[in-house]
Amino acid sequence: MTARLTRRGRPALAAAAAMAIITITVVASAVAGRSPGGAFPPLRPAAAPAGWPHLTLPGGTAVLSYPPSLRPLAGDKAAVTAAQLSAGGRYQFYLNATPRQGTETLHGWAAFRLHHLLSDHAAAAHEVAAAQGVQFRGGTGSCVIDNYRTRIGAHHFQEIACLVQGHTSASVIVAAAPTATWAQARPLLFQAVGAYLVR
Amino acid sequence: MSFTLTRSAAGFALLAALAAGCGSAAAAHHAAVPPKPAVTAPAAPPAAVTHHHHHHSRPAHPVVTTPPAPPASTAPAPAANPIPQGNGGDQDADNNGGPNDGDGNI
Repeated sequence: MTARLTRRGRPALAAAAAMAIITITVVASAVAGRSPGGAFPPLRPAAAPAGWPHLTLPGGTAVLSYPPSLRPLAGDKAAVTAAQLSAGGRYQFYLNATPRQGTETLHGWAAFRLHHLLSDHAAAAHEVAAAQGVQFRGGTGSCVIDNYRTRIGAHHFQEIACLVQGHTSASVIVAAAPTATWAQARPLLFQAVGAYLVR
Repeated sequence: MSFTLTRSAAGFALLAALAAGCGSAAAAHHAAVPPKPAVTAPAAPPAAVTHHHHHHSRPAHPVVTTPPAPPASTAPAPAANPIPQGNGGDQDADNNGGPNDGDGNI
């Protein structure tokens, strides 16, 4: 009797094991399917190249380095901004660093940023990719890559926006370019973001 | 002994199937995002200012990444903006159709 049951049980056990393996494979595929567009692009923290100017947030809590082709712009008193403009005065590269001011947190940063864009000046905003645990010089951050359309002028921008937590403070760095030229602008913008220093 | 093995295997398979259901639901949630918008030119900026400091620090590690969705989630309808647009309030670029800065809308 036992021998017969064992003989009958073995195929059932094998079938169940096969089913479990298939199921696990399906689950893994479904999870991996969340990122059909690929992983968040690598962001390498590294000191800015020699010759890059710097802008320091009030209190010295963070330092924004920017390529020499950009120039500083006026903005919020607590923030620093550098940008490169076309001959027609259009933004080509845009960098901004601002001390954390609202209720943003590392967890849920992407959703916060998108909501903020829409509540601030964007008529539409779309997340492209997001990452947490991003290493910065002097801290760790959460980043989102998104694109949006401004209410004024219906201008299309793509950006990487990161909330970065340093040892003593948190701040936001934004690097943006027109959506049409994002692919060309991205390496330089990412280099500037990677050079961002927080304390 | 064999019955026990069979029951255990069947139970494991059932749990795995339930897990698959949850995973698929999560993936479907992430995939439910609309595509990117089209492209146009940006706007003009506010006036310039200068401010320079130099700092250096050691590089840290590369990034821990999370998967991106394809061109994705559109947030709900915008809330009221305390900073007036059209060069109102703080005269930021983002109040003039330029890129959005990193302020917390405060």
